Amino acid sequence: MTTVLLGRQVGLRVCSHCRNTVRAAGAARVRCPRCGAPIHVRKPHSVVTTGVLLAAAAVLYVPANLLPVMYTHTFFDDDSDTIMSGVVSLVNNGSWPLGLLVFVASICIPLLKLLTMAALLFSVATKSAIHPLQRSRLFRLVEFIGRWSMLDVYAISLLVALVQIRSLAFIHPGAGAIAFCAVVVLTMLAAESFDERLLWDHQPDE
Amino acid sequence: MSSIIVCHACDLVQRRNALTTHARCARCHAELYRTTSASIDAAVALGCAAALLLVLSNLYPLVVLRLNGATRETTLVGAALGLYREGYGLIGALVLLTTVLIPSFQLASLLYVLLPLRRRRRAKRQNELFRTLTRLRPWAMPEVFLLGALVALVKLSAIAQVVPGVSLFAYVAFMLTLAGLTSITPTEQFWHWVEGTRA
Repeated sequence: MTTVLLGRQVGLRVCSHCRNTVRAAGAARVRCPRCGAPIHVRKPHSVVTTGVLLAAAAVLYVPANLLPVMYTHTFFDDDSDTIMSGVVSLVNNGSWPLGLLVFVASICIPLLKLLTMAALLFSVATKSAIHPLQRSRLFRLVEFIGRWSMLDVYAISLLVALVQIRSLAFIHPGAGAIAFCAVVVLTMLAAESFDERLLWDHQPDE
Repeated sequence: MSSIIVCHACDLVQRRNALTTHARCARCHAELYRTTSASIDAAVALGCAAALLLVLSNLYPLVVLRLNGATRETTLVGAALGLYREGYGLIGALVLLTTVLIPSFQLASLLYVLLPLRRRRRAKRQNELFRTLTRLRPWAMPEVFLLGALVALVKLSAIAQVVPGVSLFAYVAFMLTLAGLTSITPTEQFWHWVEGTRA
């Protein structure tokens, strides 16, 4: 590439909703002529919003993993399950592929999302110019993969609804489930409020 | 339509090739646009099928559980209500939103904007609805729900007899039709259809 022309430099903006390219000078407030959405040069307050959402998610990640997400009462005993002990019980039942699935979806993905988004925010804050393509790909991966963490929440909701058999077995949800839901929703919102273009803004002029 | 296009992911200015149906950014490889050869009729048909399947999957039990002569069954809405009754209404609401309410809204609003487009007319508040619809797309999670249901059923099969209900199969079919609908109505395609109404 010899000349890299950026929309910001030549007064072109792209609509974040319908991806229409629009001519708009400087800092003027513009709405997309095609779909009517406001068009910004960069998403407003992207770094701060993403940072706050991410910090909240990081705090809640601790109770999400330590508190029980589910209580099981049966005729024989009472049991409480955290996310990790749920994985262990799946593996012990002989269904290790599903155990692995839940482990990846509920423990690895949220943690990786938190770490990756924090690293990306740090790289934007320090105006880093290295490996923009890799950072961009990492962001798209996080954005795409985030929703799969809801898997455990759905599993718990079905277990709670089904296992309500008088005097035999009961399953109740635990407070950890709320914290876990909050982590998933907050990290999804954090990815949504992050402006990917910030990763490319500090490239040296080619 | 302008022949210059700015990448939404890295702000690079590039020229649009009028002949391609699919283009990626030269610098960051983000998808710039994608159009399909699908007709509005195909989208409407898939939308109707998905709506029907979603209704069907809420009419019958999702799963039936048999344990020592006792049976329990639940529907999709029942699973959310169960959480609400346990004092976890917030999670119940999230489950209901992501599996039933948001997909229903998506289907209803898509059909609402597409049906007039077939006759080259525009629905009232078309732009607002379509914008809301695209924003909500990541929050409809039928495929994640099905995988979660699989995990729950495997856990239960260790202690009880588990019978998947009609609704579970209907919901699998719903998930597939919704995925098909999403893939033939990329944002760019929708605006192509809208711009066709001017001609």
